[in-house]
Amino acid sequence: MGRGYIVEDTVERYLSKLCEQAGPVTGLLIGQSSAQRDFVVMAIRTPQSEESTAGNSVDKELVSEHARQVSRMLPGGLSVLGVFIITDTDVKDTLTTLRQLVFAVENLISSERLWNPADDEVTDSVMLHVNTKTRKTVCRTFDVKDPKSTAKPADWKYQSGVCSSWATVSCCLNVNLLVPLPHDKTSAENMAECLKEGLKVWAHQIESGVCLIDGKKLPEDSELIAGQRRNVRQMFTAQLLITSKDQRLPDVVQLCGGSVSVRGAIHSRAFLHSNKPKAKLAEKLLKRDVVSTVASRVQMLLEEENQSGDKQQTEQLCLPRRVFCPVKVNGPVCVCDYQFSDEGLAEVIDRLKEMLDIDAAEEDLDTRQEMTAEVTESSDTAGVCLESLCEPAVELAEASEPKKNNYIGVAMATAVALLATAASMLYLSDA
Amino acid sequence: MVVVDSDSEIILRVKGPLELKCQLDTSDAQLMQKVISRTFESLRSQVKSESCVLAVCDSPVFIWPNRGALATPEEITPNAPCEDLQQWIQTDDQDSAGKRSAKKKSKRSSSASVINLGLMMEVTQPGPLSAPILSKTVQKSHFLTTTLPMDCVVCTSCGDAIKDACERLLEALTHQLCDMEKVTLQHMRGPTVLVPEVLHFLLPEPKGLVTVVYPAGVSDSQLEAQRKELHQQFELPDDRPYFRRANAYHFPNEPYKDGYLRNPHVVLTHPTLDNGKVYLVQGIYSYHHYMQDRMDDNGWGCAYRSLQTICSWFQQQGYVERSVPTHKEIQQALVDVGDKQTSFVGSCQWIGSIEVQAVLNQLLGITSKIMFVSQGSELASKGRELANHFLTEGTPIMIGGGVLAHTILGVTWSETTGQIRYLILDPHYTGAEDLQLITDKGWCGWKGPDFWDQTAYYNLCLPQKPKVI
Repeated sequence: MGRGYIVEDTVERYLSKLCEQAGPVTGLLIGQSSAQRDFVVMAIRTPQSEESTAGNSVDKELVSEHARQVSRMLPGGLSVLGVFIITDTDVKDTLTTLRQLVFAVENLISSERLWNPADDEVTDSVMLHVNTKTRKTVCRTFDVKDPKSTAKPADWKYQSGVCSSWATVSCCLNVNLLVPLPHDKTSAENMAECLKEGLKVWAHQIESGVCLIDGKKLPEDSELIAGQRRNVRQMFTAQLLITSKDQRLPDVVQLCGGSVSVRGAIHSRAFLHSNKPKAKLAEKLLKRDVVSTVASRVQMLLEEENQSGDKQQTEQLCLPRRVFCPVKVNGPVCVCDYQFSDEGLAEVIDRLKEMLDIDAAEEDLDTRQEMTAEVTESSDTAGVCLESLCEPAVELAEASEPKKNNYIGVAMATAVALLATAASMLYLSDA
Repeated sequence: MVVVDSDSEIILRVKGPLELKCQLDTSDAQLMQKVISRTFESLRSQVKSESCVLAVCDSPVFIWPNRGALATPEEITPNAPCEDLQQWIQTDDQDSAGKRSAKKKSKRSSSASVINLGLMMEVTQPGPLSAPILSKTVQKSHFLTTTLPMDCVVCTSCGDAIKDACERLLEALTHQLCDMEKVTLQHMRGPTVLVPEVLHFLLPEPKGLVTVVYPAGVSDSQLEAQRKELHQQFELPDDRPYFRRANAYHFPNEPYKDGYLRNPHVVLTHPTLDNGKVYLVQGIYSYHHYMQDRMDDNGWGCAYRSLQTICSWFQQQGYVERSVPTHKEIQQALVDVGDKQTSFVGSCQWIGSIEVQAVLNQLLGITSKIMFVSQGSELASKGRELANHFLTEGTPIMIGGGVLAHTILGVTWSETTGQIRYLILDPHYTGAEDLQLITDKGWCGWKGPDFWDQTAYYNLCLPQKPKVI
């Protein structure tokens, strides 16, 4: 009794084409797992490295790194389900290598995640072996939670239109993070550490938040698509409500060496298989996408920063914006990429080709979900250091709105003077 | 057929943490104040914005107060009466999320019912919006991080529209942020900032529930000037406390953390005598009895337990801050005043009214009057004195005689016929804190004059309450 994989027929054609290439080809399998069965939506060959590996050995690091970068380009509900190999070597001889590969990929991907898988989640990864001589496919799964697990047989079945009626849940969400920097250490690694800690706290707030779907709080186990025809594509809008963490630190005021803030909005999206998905699955996948898209972008920005190595006192950096690209011409399922403000769409198209082996044209890309961030000129150093956390959501809507620092400063000074003279009224509240 | 009283009160209580975070330069006090004020201003904007959401606890109901009380589920309209919200709240004996099929009314119509709401922020809004910007400021300074424990109460009647109630809640939240700002700024000393805390006090009618913001960590004794102002503002007598932390109103649905029962006598039906009037203890006490706190004092500790009940009264009315003393502490106090030898501590010896009076004085600074009756039958004629005590002092009375000690919580007395009944709280109970059992079996109950041993002598300790605020 093994797992059953339902695979898009486009994947079959893709793998067949790869069979015609010389040498072994490795790659990733992308899709969604559920308790009953798994769905494979895409297959992506590992890009060629600059140093061609001698012989036909499988480069585990290359495949894992590819998987790590591909994971950043997958919206909620899509993940790397496993690996494939197309080779003329017999499956018996490659099993160990593939097993190591499956674990290496999973370990690298999970080390970057800011959330933990739930206890009831599927932890099997799949390995597909295609023999170019016999054209036979062998499919096995490993339980990546158990380092001693052995290969279990699994079903691999091709079907058309696997994801054509998958549901989409999406939202546009405001991010408003402010974390202090340590007083004594101000290196770039410390900023990354502080941001990561701050992101963890924020991720927990998101995870514990209330999720409304199409304006309603649905019971957890209710079906998302109750009573609808299964062939009709469904799109849902989500709303997230959060409360602050009730933290009482012993030292309310602490020394710091500055602060870092992340402010703006992101578009989050998750896809759900069409086999009676439940409301709590939609909520879980969407929340994970929210957390991943912010964390990935911050990570990407810090990686760029480290390379440029500048040590400005105060600076503002724009996070890249999210651009979507459909996997199939007529399906709801999309992949995404992040476009930095100094890049054009051509770079996005290049990355989609290199990382995901997708041939996209500019017209195919959906750039309407997020606007490119702009650093405004009035945000000078004096203004920035007085920034406080909680600004109303409306203010963040237009990035070009000048920051109101100086004017508010004057108004507040007057208000404070008035408050000081009215000290005797301090503890009174209206009856 | 139940006629719904549209004037019956509902208390709407909204609670929720609001994060207060800002970077501060503590070398410049004025600049610090400016930054803190500005942070409070942005919190006020946040609460007044369309992102503010009130979540009705234990229900699928969410209301956007700044969007004309738009709500989900859509059956809840802005002009619907507040009592409609109660139908959506899940109690323990329900298993489905949704409307209750039949309206449940509690047998005892006590005070107004409370609807609890949580303060939340919606972080989503329709897009498209700009992608985020990361801003880094490198500057040695300070960072302020705390959460403000928002806690607002609005009293409204069942028939009032949800929209209007929401407006009032918003006003209360904004106002509370202003109060918190004042308290924070007033208690700022260099790099030390005190966090505000919110307490509600139930004042005598018609004033009702009043909310006060105090600085956390500042003791009651240091806040006397503020209490004086409050007494003046609300025209309250200046000889008893209303605004000490211990006086804070305890909401009906909140359990007490210590697990003791409070005022078990309120569920009893008082006796009716010809021309009889009921005179009861005023305020809140906890029921202390045998075997509590893992202390096996069965057979000897009854006077200790009665003393504990009296101490709990003084603590909960705010006269003293110290917690209810243990048997050992009581015994040590008697040694300290020279009434007993050191070997008394840890023993199982009885105490009487005189010792109770001594301990109340030593540990709580409370004076008490002693009343002596040479035989139990005389207690029937003490109606006037006991009634007066409950009228003027309102404290529980410890009565000890011969072999037993009890607590008297009140009397029903007829001036014309002389008939009398005593409300007795019996410390000899050894069971669990089961209100039903305690009242059914008379561990807290009304007794007649034959309850007393007619030939034994009795001493009564009548604690006097101090005239302070």
